[in-house]
Amino acid sequence: MNSLEKQKKRFIVCSLVVPMVLLIGFVVFPAFDLIRMSFTNWDGYSKTYDHIGFNNYTAMFRNRDLWLSLRNNGVYFFAHLIFIPIELMFAVLLTSRLRASKFYKTMVFMPYIINGVAISYAFSYFFSPINGAFDEILTVFHLESLIRNWLSDPKIVNFVLAFVSLWRFSGYHVILFMAALQSLPQDVQEAARVDGANAWQMFKYIQIPSIMLMVDFVLFDNIRGALQVFDIPYVMTSGGPGYASSTFTLYTIDTAFKYSNFGLASTMAVAIMVMIVVIYLVQNKIIHGILKGGRK
Amino acid sequence: MRKRVLALGLCAAMAIGAMTGCSSSNGTGETPKETTAKGQDGAQTEAGKPEAKEDLKGSLVFAIWDNNLMDYIDENDMVGKFQEKYPNADIEVEKIKDDSEYWNAMKMRTSANQLPDVMFNKPFTLSRFKDYLVDLSGLEASKNNELASGYAMDGKVLGIPMTAGYEYVYYWKDMFKEAGVEVPTTWEDFEKTAQTLQDYYGKNDPDFMAIALGAKDEWPDYPYMEFMPALQGGNGQNWNDMAKTDAPFADGTDINKAYNKVYSLFGKNVFGKDPLGMGNDQVTSLFAQKKAAIIALGDWGLQNIQSGTDDASELGTFYLPVRDSKDDPFRVIVQGDSFMGVTTHSKNPELAKAFVEWFYSEDWYPGYINYVTSASSMKNFPKEKDPILAQSDEQQPDKELVMYDGGGDNFQAIQNDIAFDYKKLGAQMFTNGFDLKAELDGLNTKWAEARTKLGIK
Repeated sequence: MNSLEKQKKRFIVCSLVVPMVLLIGFVVFPAFDLIRMSFTNWDGYSKTYDHIGFNNYTAMFRNRDLWLSLRNNGVYFFAHLIFIPIELMFAVLLTSRLRASKFYKTMVFMPYIINGVAISYAFSYFFSPINGAFDEILTVFHLESLIRNWLSDPKIVNFVLAFVSLWRFSGYHVILFMAALQSLPQDVQEAARVDGANAWQMFKYIQIPSIMLMVDFVLFDNIRGALQVFDIPYVMTSGGPGYASSTFTLYTIDTAFKYSNFGLASTMAVAIMVMIVVIYLVQNKIIHGILKGGRK
Repeated sequence: MRKRVLALGLCAAMAIGAMTGCSSSNGTGETPKETTAKGQDGAQTEAGKPEAKEDLKGSLVFAIWDNNLMDYIDENDMVGKFQEKYPNADIEVEKIKDDSEYWNAMKMRTSANQLPDVMFNKPFTLSRFKDYLVDLSGLEASKNNELASGYAMDGKVLGIPMTAGYEYVYYWKDMFKEAGVEVPTTWEDFEKTAQTLQDYYGKNDPDFMAIALGAKDEWPDYPYMEFMPALQGGNGQNWNDMAKTDAPFADGTDINKAYNKVYSLFGKNVFGKDPLGMGNDQVTSLFAQKKAAIIALGDWGLQNIQSGTDDASELGTFYLPVRDSKDDPFRVIVQGDSFMGVTTHSKNPELAKAFVEWFYSEDWYPGYINYVTSASSMKNFPKEKDPILAQSDEQQPDKELVMYDGGGDNFQAIQNDIAFDYKKLGAQMFTNGFDLKAELDGLNTKWAEARTKLGIK
């Protein structure tokens, strides 16, 4: 074995071993520790704790407020899911030769790079019942009858928060779709055009199937994001009134820090992991089933 | 060759670093215990030796959340002044965003044996951190403090209150005068006053709030939800006493009476059109602009109000009148606030104690306490109340002080088990369809179950 090959091997070994060690140390081990903690009654600071079997799991299933919070996560999930086709269309539009497309791209991506807490603060003033900009806009257009208690009416508060989430994250999805669309080979698209494919046919038969991997990722990111949403409800409503706008993660954090029940909070964290995987698998099956059916 | 060796060395260092970083729960768990034990022994043997002070050296981490304290520390070079007395000592002041974040950070650090050398507590967190705080009863600062011994646990002073905290109701005198109302002295008067103000100013301004309350943040309802049960019966130990019974929310109990009063007030249309839609910053600023007539806050709130207005000449205060009639005693909450303590995780506990002693000495404390609006907790450094806050005492010269306890181990164990959040409950009272009786009955059931489960008698 010559020196170059030895060097190569060392490089490969180092490149594999170091990330593996880091992954095991910072992801795999904590994940197993989280599962272990979910069977204890640890309060987060005491030196001792007891193993309490499945008590945390039964307590979690009996907790009405927690499942109400999960229902609120559903609002974010469906709002973003409905928006994904629109984001996709925006991405196609911005990838085509559009005047000032660079400006639009920047504008679309801008909300994602602004600090989430700052956005939430800004929107809580935007929807404020006194001197709130949104109510002022409605008043200017003589739409006073539409004014509501945007952040305190349990019937609408989650939709308002989901709107803020859409405002913030849609641009990120658009940029991801654009990156995927720009990587498509031009010759296939040229050939389709020569064969007489119109814009809709190009979108349905060429572009969508070619970026399916990215669509899968965005769908997965939507589930993960919807189940883990935290900063927007935390800053804008503190999960209130009551638990009307609380989310699963918000409730988990309260359980750990406000009520000093790290054992139960760990159980909730395990439940989130399981839910993300299960929902992703179900969603994947449904979406791919629909797409395959459409192509027949 | 040298480069290869260096690269391999770096790889190995990263791998070892990652492994030790993640598998050291036992290691880190043991080392500070030893340090602590030595430190505490040292504290006993060296106590009373003034010459040891000059020999003290090392560094301290001093964690705070209070913005006013941080400003004062920066403006007055606290570290430099401390070093004039202790030239070999260094202090790192760590500012954490707010007290909620502070408790989260402290809980995480407790489990990692990484508490700062000197930390603050509130009355309701003392019990939580009591195993990690050193007894300060031997310090002069503790002996000179008016409130420290009242919060001692098992005879140990675990924190020295930096201020004595009083709660006030701020109001605009000119607005009261124009609406023709007097400062209320009973709960019924308070409700009537609020209603009159709302009717008077609300007819021309739909945004007007007789009482400003940022219920969106939930915590601003604490003057009502946290302190009123103690004020109702004049029992500062109310939370601890509740832990001794199975049905503390039953009819006739202090908390039941107090929460029914709060529910009655919150049900009146005196908090503006949407109290749940605004946070404390927003309503404080609106109050400062006279878009509200009343706001209940602690003494710390005065600085926030003054910074939001150019003219505070008409600003007045009174104490929240919880009593039912003028024949009942007028009770006022007082609590020790910001309990400065030395943690068992400190590697330099003697230096940390010296810092606490210095903090409460004439070298630092008088300047600080005069900088803030809060009252002094030190007998040797009394402070005149701010003229605006002193008006409350003029209104109620015969007030009865109730020393508030935030709740001990048993109360907190039950509170955590049933997720009892009185501040959230207060915010919920503003929602349509809220049924206080059903809520209190439900709490009684959960409370009794939790006591049985936790074996609390």
